[in-house]
Amino acid sequence: MGSTNTPTDYLPIVLMFIVALGFVVTTMVASHMLGPKRKTKIKLDSFECGIESHGNARLPFSIKYFLVAILFVLFDVEVIFMYPWAVNYKELGIVGVIEVFSFIALLLVGFYYMLAKKAVQWED
Amino acid sequence: MKGLLIVSGLGILAMMAEIFKFKKLLFPLVLLGILGAYVANFMEWNSGFSIAVFDNMIAFDKVALAFSGVILATAFFWFIMANDYFEDMPTVVDHFSLVLFALTGALMLTAFKNMTTLFLGIEIMSIPLYVLAASKKKDVKSNEAGFKYLIMGSFASGFLLFGIALVYGATGSFDLMEIRAKISEMGSGMPSFFYAGIIMMLIAMLFKVSAAPFHFWAPDVYQGSPTVITALMSTVVKTAAFAAILRLFMIAFGGVSESWSMVLASVIALSLVIANFSAAVQTNVKRTLAFSSISHAAFMLMVVLANLRSNATLDALLYYSLAYSIGSIAAFGIIYNVTKNGDETFDSFNGLGKRNPLMAACMVVAMLSLAGIPITAGFFAKYFVFTTMIGTGYKWLLILAILTSAVGVYYYFKVIIAMYFKQATTEEPVTIELSQKVVMILTTLFTLALGAVPGFVAEMFKF
Amino acid sequence: MLGYTITQWLFGILSFLAIMFGLMVVFSRNPVNSVLYLVMTFFCIAGHYLLLNAQFLAIVHIVVYAGAIMVLFLFVIMLMNLNEDTEPQRTWLSKIIAAVAGGLMLFVMVGSLKGAGDMGLQQYGNAQIGFVKNLGAVLFKDFLFPFEIASVLLLAAMVGAIMIGKKEAGES
Repeated sequence: MGSTNTPTDYLPIVLMFIVALGFVVTTMVASHMLGPKRKTKIKLDSFECGIESHGNARLPFSIKYFLVAILFVLFDVEVIFMYPWAVNYKELGIVGVIEVFSFIALLLVGFYYMLAKKAVQWED
Repeated sequence: MKGLLIVSGLGILAMMAEIFKFKKLLFPLVLLGILGAYVANFMEWNSGFSIAVFDNMIAFDKVALAFSGVILATAFFWFIMANDYFEDMPTVVDHFSLVLFALTGALMLTAFKNMTTLFLGIEIMSIPLYVLAASKKKDVKSNEAGFKYLIMGSFASGFLLFGIALVYGATGSFDLMEIRAKISEMGSGMPSFFYAGIIMMLIAMLFKVSAAPFHFWAPDVYQGSPTVITALMSTVVKTAAFAAILRLFMIAFGGVSESWSMVLASVIALSLVIANFSAAVQTNVKRTLAFSSISHAAFMLMVVLANLRSNATLDALLYYSLAYSIGSIAAFGIIYNVTKNGDETFDSFNGLGKRNPLMAACMVVAMLSLAGIPITAGFFAKYFVFTTMIGTGYKWLLILAILTSAVGVYYYFKVIIAMYFKQATTEEPVTIELSQKVVMILTTLFTLALGAVPGFVAEMFKF
Repeated sequence: MLGYTITQWLFGILSFLAIMFGLMVVFSRNPVNSVLYLVMTFFCIAGHYLLLNAQFLAIVHIVVYAGAIMVLFLFVIMLMNLNEDTEPQRTWLSKIIAAVAGGLMLFVMVGSLKGAGDMGLQQYGNAQIGFVKNLGAVLFKDFLFPFEIASVLLLAAMVGAIMIGKKEAGES
């Protein structure tokens, strides 16, 4: 982390992105061009295990998925806070440990609360 | 500071009540805790200093302690009043912890010293309230209330953040004192986007106190939310938001008041007119009180507009928020009992004078106080506001406020007339829980006592 | 290259892409496509963070926003019934009012940005504050109170989500 850190230091990463993207695009275009194409009605239909599809795929689904996702985000944010602590672990010393552990302890209450509420249990 | 720690600890204790299954104990524990927080708050006031941890972020000075006292006292009464509603719910623990978290945010807003604490305080106060507003899951109105509150509140938070960013860009600091110092150092040399930032923050705060033209959410949210939650919103949340506005605009932006005072003056004028005339044509009691709270917000904003750097300002705002909170708790407590059958129109009050004379008498005092009729606390609240305004150049606003108050008297009296001069369809008495009865009587007596010795607050809060 | 530094080129390209994807979020008819364009917008903004020397924010932006929050967005879209025939049709009046309001907003923005040439921009503090190490040092010392109280915010959100989203045993 020297003071010479400038945006141009990310050039290798940018190059990697370009190569990765380029590979994907090239293979997709190439397979599209090279492969034989036989379009029939049945082949282009959306299918589900051989059963005739009917209706629209946009059907409302259970709120339970959403609850799990939202709880995931909350704990995700908690974990984010640990990166700066981990990097500064030595400098912050025992004070930092206490600070972060009290933060985690508070959220641990939330975690057990979540379990007590059976928020992540599928069956009602 | 201790009060804040105790209240946030109580919120976590409430969550533990779910984990360790002591739901029945929760209510007495919460009451004790709030009382403890109040006592701790009071002792910090008397000892004259607060424990100075996180001093750069949050500081419970005398002003903050005074507002915290008002908030904690209101919250104490509110919990007794609201317990009847929560008691039999399967989600009582969730409700209690959400309310306590909202209270934590409210206490933060009285004492913030830094923009980050301001923003976090507002979010900690608002997010539980969005959920609480929507807590009647099967009720479409309640869902609408929660959704509208969430969308509008997030929008306001966006404005607040943008404003903070611009102010930071101009001053290079989040700290209120440093911003103030920078303003007095630079004088009129502040870049133009600094003023844009101030106005954006002002807009966000006006959203939160529901002043016109940012009031559109308030009637729907107040009407749709469960009555006890409406009571919480119009007392604790209002007081906290005003404490925050006072802190922000007097400490940080007091030096450039000419840049925001005209905006504030027009907002106050709009709020007074729109709120009072809209309230007069409502048939729903809760909706009427929502508009009434907009007009009260306008009165409290006048204190900020006067921008007097003296005790009179603080006294006026404190007295007003105390009188308004206490009166609202009594009024909403009675509305909660009267409208239990789902009818929220003025007709539900018909014949209350016969069906429950005590409740009707308390309601009369609450309404008179909200209307600002002499010998109640509400009158002196308005009087103190007017005295802070007299020395300023906003005499037209004073006249407008007096005129619209006269309109206000009309809709407050609609309730009183319904109670005493209209025939009820049923003669059956309205029952009320003993604990709620005690709260009603206490708040009513307090309203009268505050009106009897109006100098009391000013005497007590010697800053 | 044409008198611009590579940073300026990157800034220009990223800004162009961010605005283009942002417009596509608004203009695309299919809400799922909107979300995917929004992901692209977030990536461009993460690029901007990198240009501003704020790697931590850039990574957080990608992990939390483009990763987690966008999944929530997709879920919300799937929770709702967004078929074309169920979408509310807006009247001409509301369209005109929206156009006027948007136009006024644009007018104000352009007007205020016109005078932005003399903003007197200057750099405050440490230009490398965005590094994870420096950020952590500030977060755990000066901003300790907001950090700890943020846990209360997360808890409040957790309780709220569970209360709204979970059906209780005794609830009808």
